Amino acid sequence: MDRDLLRQCLTYHGQSLFNTLKCEQTENPDFQAVVSDLCKATYESRCEEQSNPLVEQFIARKADILFSPVWRTAGLRGEEHEEEEAVEPYAVMPPMEVFMEVSYEERRSMIYRDLERGDIVVGRINNIREYGFFLTLFCTAGGLKRDIEDLELSALCHVREIPSTGSHDDPLAYYQIGDFIRAGVKDIDRYQEKITVSLHQACLSPSLEHIKLGVITKEELPVHYSRSVQAATDSSETYERILTGCHGYHNPSVVDYLLEKVGISDTHPPSMMRGLQSKLFQAEDFASAIRKKQSASWALKCVRAGVDHFKHGRHVEAMNEYNKALEIDISNVEALVARGALYANKGSIMKAITDFERALENCPDHRNAKKYLCQTLVERGKQLEEQEKLVTAEGLYRRALALDGSNPEAQEALHKITDTIQKSIRLREEALAKEQVKTKSGQSSAEKLRKILKEEKRMKKKRKRSSSSSSSTSSRTSSSSTSSSSSRRQSKKKKKKRRKSERGSKRHRRISSKESRRSNEGKKDRNEKEEDDEVEWYPAPSNTSATFLNQVGGLGFGLRDEEQVEGKDADDRKSFKLYSLSAASEEEESDSSQRERKGRDREESRTKKTKSSLSRSPDREKIRSRSRERRNRSRDGDRKKDRRSSDSKRRSSLDENSKRKLSCSSGELEYSGRKSSYRPEHSGNSTSKHPENRNDSSSRNLFEENRGRLEVHGADQVKREKESRMEEGTIPDQGHSKKGSAGNQNEQCSMGAKKDLPANLLDIFNQIAQFEKEKGVKPKK
Amino acid sequence: MDMQGPSAYSTASLRVAGRRDSGGDIAADPSLDTKHFRVCRFIMETGVKLCMRSVPVATACVLYHRFFERVSIHAYEPYLVAMSCVYLAGKVEEQHIRTRDIINVSHRYFNSGSTPLECDKEFWDLRDSVVQCELLILRQLNFQVSFEHPHKYLLHYLLSVKSLVNRHAWSRTPVAETSWALLRDCYHGAMVICHRPQHIAIAMLYLALNSYGVELPAGEREWWQVLCDDVMKADIDAVIADLLQLYDMEAKCI
Repeated sequence: MDRDLLRQCLTYHGQSLFNTLKCEQTENPDFQAVVSDLCKATYESRCEEQSNPLVEQFIARKADILFSPVWRTAGLRGEEHEEEEAVEPYAVMPPMEVFMEVSYEERRSMIYRDLERGDIVVGRINNIREYGFFLTLFCTAGGLKRDIEDLELSALCHVREIPSTGSHDDPLAYYQIGDFIRAGVKDIDRYQEKITVSLHQACLSPSLEHIKLGVITKEELPVHYSRSVQAATDSSETYERILTGCHGYHNPSVVDYLLEKVGISDTHPPSMMRGLQSKLFQAEDFASAIRKKQSASWALKCVRAGVDHFKHGRHVEAMNEYNKALEIDISNVEALVARGALYANKGSIMKAITDFERALENCPDHRNAKKYLCQTLVERGKQLEEQEKLVTAEGLYRRALALDGSNPEAQEALHKITDTIQKSIRLREEALAKEQVKTKSGQSSAEKLRKILKEEKRMKKKRKRSSSSSSSTSSRTSSSSTSSSSSRRQSKKKKKKRRKSERGSKRHRRISSKESRRSNEGKKDRNEKEEDDEVEWYPAPSNTSATFLNQVGGLGFGLRDEEQVEGKDADDRKSFKLYSLSAASEEEESDSSQRERKGRDREESRTKKTKSSLSRSPDREKIRSRSRERRNRSRDGDRKKDRRSSDSKRRSSLDENSKRKLSCSSGELEYSGRKSSYRPEHSGNSTSKHPENRNDSSSRNLFEENRGRLEVHGADQVKREKESRMEEGTIPDQGHSKKGSAGNQNEQCSMGAKKDLPANLLDIFNQIAQFEKEKGVKPKK
Repeated sequence: MDMQGPSAYSTASLRVAGRRDSGGDIAADPSLDTKHFRVCRFIMETGVKLCMRSVPVATACVLYHRFFERVSIHAYEPYLVAMSCVYLAGKVEEQHIRTRDIINVSHRYFNSGSTPLECDKEFWDLRDSVVQCELLILRQLNFQVSFEHPHKYLLHYLLSVKSLVNRHAWSRTPVAETSWALLRDCYHGAMVICHRPQHIAIAMLYLALNSYGVELPAGEREWWQVLCDDVMKADIDAVIADLLQLYDMEAKCI
């Protein structure tokens, strides 16, 4: 209990209150602590009129609240200088003494009592002497608002207290009798009733420091002063009338403003009622807390429904539920994790990562979020690895490991990628060395081949120069080849995702090792051959993207998988169409994506061949040929093409086989060699997205073509599969670049792995032949 | 698990006794006063939990008192009316409160420690009742729902009186907090619609100053006479008496 405050109160109310207090606060230990102290003094009621016993009873009963030290929330606050503000946020009222007609003596003693060093006064110069000037004070400024105009207060401003302007002139020369001066109180002698003021800013109290001292104009006089002058002259003006006449009074937020000024919290409002003491309010009873809890539970309900949809394969409904959940509760961890998982399943790895990251932001220890993010990061890393962004991929693996240090997949991937990076560096050096050796030794068959390729390149360049298109062939080639590989990756990913989702649904089952996963796969509807393939391919050093490609290439997918891919593809195309209509910059992207799709299609066909040449049913052929008819091309050419494409297919399957043999027999070196041969192409992928490609007329053609085709065929996937293959032939640049890519590959292969030359060469020649044929179709378009 | 008081409320139960039957029975029965006191306490608590400012809470209470000034308390479920008053007051005073929060806080008020409501039919029924009742209040009050509150006056008076007192004495004495608390507590009773807002503000300031024994300089006129032209000492005493009665009521009924 605030003893001084209680004493002040008792002094005011007298002994009767003290007696009541002693009755009412018998059980209050705080009061008992101070009561003996208070007993010492005797209290004479100073209140003339007899005090209200009810009020005394109230004070006595509420004494524990009234005199509690924590009751006072507003401390001594810095005074704002309202005159400085352009608008009046509340009604600035003239001092009440103006209306109360307090006696001269009392007001004079009050101002001498309350005026303090650092306050601001305003006065008029009435006398200038060589040692300074005298002011007649007529109003106060700053915090203290008093009516002092008629109090005949005089203040001295010594010459020392006038800031000099730097020159040698007399500072007093700037001041004239009658000037309004705003000055800070430097000293006040309460007994002798002498006030000295200063014009140095430093004399002000810190809260008033921003107010400029010196000569002021009439307009700069404080508002309360001008209002009190107005009230004094017009006797009909009352406090109430001035109050309601002020703009500030009508300010809609005047209450909030003043509450802040006075220092009362309106969110934890004070109350004298025992039941409304702020300590009785529990945080969990507040609306925001309940809402949060409720939102979480509502969102969780949605997530559950979403998971249910998801389990039944209704992915769209599941996504809707997740989104609804996130709408209800924007940071719902479960919803974020579930949506992330769905994104990951749908191949939107980046979105999945974002969701998982957001989930972990809100709940850093969420087990599933951690696990999934880890897996997705590894996934993304592998994607990047495909694109030959090894360093970025490595970073992702490291991040994954930071999340879950025991994740075997991440560990393995990181291990591999560091190996790969080192190996590739070494191989590049080796290749360089070999190159040098080769130049020394006589011409080998590879050398010859390279010459041929160079020749061809030169020709191409010439042609390119003649045509105005600015496309860089290498980048185009690389992107097409990369996309084919990445498409392979994607389909592989799909499969993995499915696995993952299954794991996700059975959350507690944790499959960590590859062996267990493979056994899991075994349960699936996969034929034995596939599994053999996989087993066969695992022992091979799989740390390079090239092996990875082969490995996936050797795998067959269920029809459903393919359809999923295709379906997504169709979606992509639609959106591309939309985008491209609006922005030319999208064209480039759509182009690359189309190429990617094409590559994927090609890949698929090859895969099928590998799996079994019978997979191509005759009716499919029929559909294809029909679709061909729909395209207004000459039947003749079509037939040729058909033959050619089937030829190429056969050949590609041959390729595949030979490759496989090769990879089986040859060791790690061969793989990495091939891998390194792929690298420049992959890295070219990024360049293919550069603006230089944007003006590529051929890409635009391709795009237009794509659009046209879309209009004709709609979403028939099987047809498209075929057609996209045909399209390779239809666009001149495309075919040409394909060939170039083959050449590049060839060249690099020969550099990288000289000893495997015969097998490699066969491979390459096959490819060349294939592209040549495709090229042959080109002029017909 | 159901709400005790407002459990019966639905749009149907709202119309048990029809409109404007007995024309209000305020202060007729002391037990009614305690009932209103409890409902107002509910509004206050809800207001704090909804982080409402003082003025919207005051408006909600005035809406409530004005409503039951015209209508018998037996005609409508007072807690539902209170909830709708909070909702309407939020709109009137530009601090919009969502019905969902009102329902949540009220539900927890009646079932302390309960889990939040599900998003089901019960919730939507409650919401409908609140909105329906809001319309009922509007009609009963003839759409006159904006009131002049003492808050503005009190704050201006506080600043003026503060200038009369030595700054150190003022900062030592929590007059502002006390008078604000008293003013908020006033709204527990129908007294807030029986007195002029200026008088209430002056009375609160008077009681606060009196409680701490703060003495103001005396002139020809008393400070409270200056603040409001038509205020008499008797008015101040009446307001204070009404308020003190509310504090007694709290001791009795809660």
